[in-house]
Amino acid sequence: MTTAPTAPAGPVTTTARPDRPARAPRQLRWLLRLHRPAVLAWTAFVLVAGAALLWLGGPLTDASAAAWKDYNACAFSERCSYDQDAIVRYKDVYTYTTSAVLVAPFLVAAWAGGSLTGRELESGTARLAWTQGVTPARWLAGRLALPAVLVAASTGLLVWLHRLAWTAGEGRIDTAKPWDDAATFYANGTVPVALALAGLCLGALEGLLLRRSLAALTTAAVVLGGLWATVHTALPHLWPTVTVVSSLRNGPSGAGIAVGEGVLTSGGDRLSAPCSSGMIPGCRTELADLGATGFYRDVHPVAHYWPLQLTASAVLLVVAALLALTAFRVLRLRTAGPAGKGGPA
Amino acid sequence: MTDPAIEATALGKRFGRRGAWALRDCSFRLPAGRVCAVVGPNGAGKSTLLALAAGLLAATEGSVAVLGTDPASARPRVGFVDQDKPLYPQLTVAETLRMGADLNPGRWDADTAGRVVAGGDLDPGKRIRSLSGGQRTRVALALALGKRPELLLLDEPMADLDPLARHELMGVLMGQAAGHGTTIVMSSHVVAELEDSCDHLLLIGGGRIRLAGEIDDLLAAHARVSAPAETDLAPHEVVESRTTGRQLSALVRPAGPLPGDWRTAAPSLEELVLSHLRNPEAPALAPTPAHDTTEAAA
Repeated sequence: MTTAPTAPAGPVTTTARPDRPARAPRQLRWLLRLHRPAVLAWTAFVLVAGAALLWLGGPLTDASAAAWKDYNACAFSERCSYDQDAIVRYKDVYTYTTSAVLVAPFLVAAWAGGSLTGRELESGTARLAWTQGVTPARWLAGRLALPAVLVAASTGLLVWLHRLAWTAGEGRIDTAKPWDDAATFYANGTVPVALALAGLCLGALEGLLLRRSLAALTTAAVVLGGLWATVHTALPHLWPTVTVVSSLRNGPSGAGIAVGEGVLTSGGDRLSAPCSSGMIPGCRTELADLGATGFYRDVHPVAHYWPLQLTASAVLLVVAALLALTAFRVLRLRTAGPAGKGGPA
Repeated sequence: MTDPAIEATALGKRFGRRGAWALRDCSFRLPAGRVCAVVGPNGAGKSTLLALAAGLLAATEGSVAVLGTDPASARPRVGFVDQDKPLYPQLTVAETLRMGADLNPGRWDADTAGRVVAGGDLDPGKRIRSLSGGQRTRVALALALGKRPELLLLDEPMADLDPLARHELMGVLMGQAAGHGTTIVMSSHVVAELEDSCDHLLLIGGGRIRLAGEIDDLLAAHARVSAPAETDLAPHEVVESRTTGRQLSALVRPAGPLPGDWRTAAPSLEELVLSHLRNPEAPALAPTPAHDTTEAAA
């Protein structure tokens, strides 16, 4: 608990240490005070989502696994008694919690755009801060640094809990999502953390650029969606794939995130497959005409999970850093910087 | 105290690359310790000038020096009250003052800030969002005065205040200027509001400086004359002239002794300001920093 800062009791403080900028901890204490409702709401969100994930990974997984065990023990007997509710409840809570983990970066972006910078520029309180001993650069630095730490810690906690919950059900629940299911893939790794940090910087920049709370809130969330879609599209190409070659009889195989597939010819060329199995007579002829020797499939196997996650996260962190830099640059051009550096050329 | 409080050189500000100039070719010098009125119609560029001096906007061209340095470096020594009196609505009055104390370590004068707020009979536990316009002005002024500025920039500070509060706060400001030698620059579009308390004038019209200098000097440099119609006023510079019947009345800047057969009178400040605003083509009277006439008046 921080104690409320009190004003000096003496009649007049001295100016023995003039022109000292406000010290960071005091500035950050007021940042927390100004955004207290948001901090409380975010804490509640993280606590509820975290508790739901613990519940999911513990009792719900056990109950669902037991139900599946009962179900599978029935084999083909006419009457089967198993706890269907447990299975459905697991599925529902899994869906909700995964959505919560993935929605968190958007909440951060919307808050950063709407409240952190947008509202302050719209109402003019940013100007108040800049003329109350906090330089514009320090104002923005505080507004990025402290939330970045809190956001990284809390979203990191959520994805870690999600991963624990998912791992608990692996192999025990027949309908558990596979590792390469898109939502599960992201919610189990570091991408939401990097995405939340990018959302923070994006929101802060939009707030500075648009200077309107609602516009910045909306734009930040929409642009973050675009950024995620871009990363999602680029993701399979961020790491070299593994080529799985299979016989003409079996058709293309290889589990994981598929990037491309087709047939290999005796000359070593890669062609698109006209059909998918040498077992079908018509297909066999077509494959023979192409001179195909086997099917291939470029995939990311489960071993590529962390390389893909970490590369995508690194890309997002670079984007976040660029957005933050742009925000500082915009602020510097708008306000008068120190001598010789301020103002557009 | 040798550095001028504000010295602008060909200062200009344009919003957007193709926007209109809010302020252009603005040169003046405001000596320290003055109480300066920035007067002009709405949209004349008063707020832009104050924001430039406070280092809240970057100049498009020219430069402005504040307290002998650039506006950004001078910011800790400058108090600023924005036209809209922005404050954090979720904080209480007491919290707002505590924030001022925290953000201005080593400078904060809790006593002055507390006195300004106490004068308004404000409940310290009240939230800013529940205050009236005048009460907000009081808190904003308390914040600006609490940091013990050497230069106080006030944008339309008295607009929301009732006459009693206006009188009281003007007294606080004048006390500050007299007691600490604080330079005060306040803008208004109501001349009468500033006439009694200010000794320096900056008249802005259409984004340009029209008049700049000590009010006494400016008044002394002008004369209201009445002469028969069709009198040639040359070589005196004419600000405004009007012919009614056989009578010509004009506001001129005498270039030398005026003829004895003209009836002359000293203009009031309001007449001076209105004549210049009514006649945008009248030449500006703004001594450039190079040959400053206001220093002598000190």
